[in-house]
This record gives sequence, C-alpha cells and structure tokens, in this order.
Amino acid sequence: MTDTCVIDEASPAATDGFAVQVRHLRKSYGSTEVLRGVDFDVRYGEVFCLLGPNGAGKTTTLEILEGFRPPTGGTVRVLGINPAAQSARLRERTGMVLQECGFPRLARVAELIDIWRSYYPNPRPLGELLDVVELTEVRNTQVRKLSGGQRRRLDFALALAGDPDLVFLDEPTTGFDPEARRRCWAAIENLRRLGTTILLTTHYLDEAERLADRIAILRAGRIELAGTTHEVAARAGLATRISFTTPSALRRGQVVVPDGIDLAVRGPVSVCHTDNAAMTLRRLLDWALENRLGDLDGLDVSAPSLEDTYLQLTGPDPEIT
Amino acid sequence: MTRSVRLAARQALLEQRSFWRSAEYALFTFAFPLMILLLIGAANVGSYLPGTHVKNTTVFVPSILAFGVIVAAYVNLGSKVAVLRHDGVLKRIKTTPLPSVAYLGGLLASTVATTVLIAALTGLIGWLAFGADPRPGGLPALTGGLILGIVCFATLGLAISSVITSAESAGPIAYASFLPIAIISGVFDPTFSGLPQWLSRLVAAFPVKALAQLMQGAYTARPFPAWDLVNLALWTAAGATFVAWRFRWHT
Repeated sequence: MTDTCVIDEASPAATDGFAVQVRHLRKSYGSTEVLRGVDFDVRYGEVFCLLGPNGAGKTTTLEILEGFRPPTGGTVRVLGINPAAQSARLRERTGMVLQECGFPRLARVAELIDIWRSYYPNPRPLGELLDVVELTEVRNTQVRKLSGGQRRRLDFALALAGDPDLVFLDEPTTGFDPEARRRCWAAIENLRRLGTTILLTTHYLDEAERLADRIAILRAGRIELAGTTHEVAARAGLATRISFTTPSALRRGQVVVPDGIDLAVRGPVSVCHTDNAAMTLRRLLDWALENRLGDLDGLDVSAPSLEDTYLQLTGPDPEIT
Repeated sequence: MTRSVRLAARQALLEQRSFWRSAEYALFTFAFPLMILLLIGAANVGSYLPGTHVKNTTVFVPSILAFGVIVAAYVNLGSKVAVLRHDGVLKRIKTTPLPSVAYLGGLLASTVATTVLIAALTGLIGWLAFGADPRPGGLPALTGGLILGIVCFATLGLAISSVITSAESAGPIAYASFLPIAIISGVFDPTFSGLPQWLSRLVAAFPVKALAQLMQGAYTARPFPAWDLVNLALWTAAGATFVAWRFRWHT
C-alpha cells in the first residue's frame, strides 16, 4: 500500500462506468521508481488532464495505459480492458497522439488519413475528419510540407480515424506558438463535442484550465491532488485573496485595521488572505461602514487559481536533493 | 488473413506512390545502377573474357542485375525502415490495430515491385544496348536468382536497419556496408581478378558475389551453383535471426 494523497470520489469497487481506472499503479526502471502508487479515474465523455512538471511520470503513466509498457504493480483498466494483456483489442477503440511520432513524409494528407481509416473496423468519414482538424484545405499537400501546427492536427485526425471511444493526447501543444496552440485547442474542443473521452497530459496550466473537466496533479510519481479546477485549488488549502484600494484615512492612521482580520496595508493596496471569504468580506464591509470608508474602492476577491495551487505543489520538490 | 493481405496491398500501393514522388529515392535506386550499366557496359563492348568466347557484357549485365536487386532490396528497404523507425512512424503504426505482418508485408511487397522493375529495366537495357540476353533455358535460373536475391537482401536490409541509429546516416551506412564488397566481388568489372587468396575467400563468403554468379548462370552456362545457393540461404537465415533478435518498432 501507499500513502498517496488521493482525493477522488470513485469507490474502488466500481470497475465499470469509467473509461480509465488506475489503482495503486507503480512502475520502476531498475532501482528508479518512476510511479509510486498512482490512482485516478476518467469518466466517459470528460476531458481529464494529467498535469505535472517534466519528469513527473506523465508519459510513463500514459504508455502503461496505452499498453506500450507493463506496470510494475497495481491495476489498470482502459475501457474495461487490461492494456498489458489485450493491447490489440484496445487499439481498435482508442486513438493516440504521442510525443515525437513522425509521419511518412511523402504521403499526402487525405491519402494518409484514408489509409489510417482502413486499419479500423468502424472508421469515421474522411471529410468529417478533415473538418474536425481543419485540414480540408491542405488535403492534397504532402506531409513534409505541413507546418508544425498542421502536423499536430494531422496527428489528431489519425488518432480519430477509427472513431475511438477514448483519445490519449501526450503534451499536445508543447513547443507551439500561440496561434498553433489556439487551433490545437479548438480541435480538442471539437473532439469533446463529439463525445470523445480525452485523457491529456500537459505541463501548461492554462491548457489544463481551458480544456479539462477534471485535473490530476502528478508529481514525483504520485497524484498530489485530483478534481475539478476549483476543487483542486480549494483542496490545496490555499486562501482566497481579498484586496482593495487603501482608504486615505487608513493610510493616514485615522482608522485602525479591523480586529481578527489579517490585513496587510501595502501602500496604495490593502490585501488579506482568508479561508472564509464570505465572513471576512462581511466584516470588512461592516468595518468600512462604521468608519465611513464607503464601499471600499477597487474591491477584488480572487479565488485561489490553479496556478497558485500548482506552483505551491510543484515549487520545492522534496524528492530532489 | 485476407484482411491482412488486403491491408498489405494498400500499404504497398501507398509506398509505391510515395516512392515515385521522391526524386532522391527514385533517382538513387534507378539512375545509379542503370548509369553504371550503360557507362561500364559501353567500355566492355567487343571484349571477351580472357581465353573464352564469352563476351564481357554477357557476364557484366547479369552482375548489374544483381547489383540492382541489392540496391533496391537491401539499401532501399534498409535505409527506409531505419528512417521510419527514427521518425517514429513505426511507433505510430503500433498505436493502431494494423497487424505488424500487414504493415511489414506492405513494405516488402513494395520492395519486391521496385526490385522486379529495376531488374526488368536492367535486363531490357542490357539486351537492347549490348545484345546480352539470358541463355536458352536460362529464364528459370533468372527467376529463381531474382527471388532468392530479393528474399536474402530484403532480410539483410531489415537487419541493417536495426544497426542504423540516425535518419541521416541511413543511406550512407547501407551503401557503405556493401559497395566495397560489390567492388571486390567484381560486380563492376567482368575481368576483375588478382585478389590475394585470403581476400577472394572472404569475398566468396559474402552474398554479393553469390547472387552475381547466380544471375550470370542465367546468361551463360555455369556449373550448378550449389555453394552460391547455400551461401544465400545461410545469409538469409543469419539475417532473419538478427531481425528476430534486434528488430524494434521504436528507438
């Protein structure tokens, strides 16, 4: 057993109803432990994001789910199938976008998608695939002449050719310029609209925040936190930040900081952090009213962001000495 | 089974279409052997092998036939598979339910098509330009030599692909690993002789001279090529063993 911090609502007894189920997954290469007891579930139809810094074990996890590597310990079910035992059956129902997978350079776009369709029992129509990834205009272009972003979208088209129930995307936008990322995201959102379950890894927070229904933060071979973006931020125990323009009376020392509120006056801005935003806010406004400070100009309440959570979790890595 | 055959055929068609789109592949595979055939062939017109009535070109044309088979089956397939592996195309294929045998079958079928075409062109040009044609009753020997040559050198091509570690070095390594042997095997010079005994023994151990002699046997009467057949069979077995041991779908 492991002491992993698992925050997920799935009961260990349930084996159906999840597109992906991972329990106590461990993987070692020699004496190096890459995964130290990973647990998470992916529901049908959702976009699930495995977020973590480089070297956290994201790709290893994905490769085990895809049946490319056997796990050292734990159980894994993908669409109810054990990938290590029945990878061939799994291939018919999954699509994969791997890191650094090339194309036959001399094939044309439509030609390549079309032969990929022939590999699957129930392929998606060619025209639809070209539409989803916005490659219709370059359908007769040789693959070697495509841009990086177009190639990645061709990756998607190939991954979708078999009309998969589940798509794995391993760091789909790493190294892209903003425009290529935007179109890549659009393609992923198109996929989601088709009802495809997507398991995606990334080390970009904005990508996870934008695309994912649920997120799991993987760090040093363990899931640190899992849940929706808001849940993850809330469960990390980060405080809500309340700030407002420092009233001149407060700056001049004519009023005192309210009792029981940890208010920091930083020149023109006053800031406090709280675990109970509603109560703190009420007391601040009461205090302002009592001292005739008005409605507190520039009042801002910000929930802890995924970025705050992520930076707190991944900042100092205790595993690295 | 039929599904695999159908998929392999489709793969082979795509490979062929791609092959002809690339000037470098097509040029190297076809232009190089045919250029050698015409240039060196022209230098041998009117000459006879020392002490015989056999024309130089009667030996030279089938030697270049063997050379073409090796370029198409060994150099081309070997460097192609190395590049496919290096680029991650083989790995991508493994993400699909396509049976490995169908994919490799397609690559091999395309290689066979290319090899047969270059052999046919070499034979045709050798006949038109130099009047060299198979001896009466030589066609079975020619067909048999062609089949054995393709099987042996395609296997060795798959084997060498596992040794090549980068896409850039694929072509050069494939060529460099057989051109010197082809030269000292006398493929480019029908009157080539004078090797020290140890070297000619070494040459006889390689499959290049064996295939060239099988092809020559289709053009001019030679004793039954027992050793050449054994040689090719042994190299095929060695190559297949190496492939089974070392072949990888990704780097």
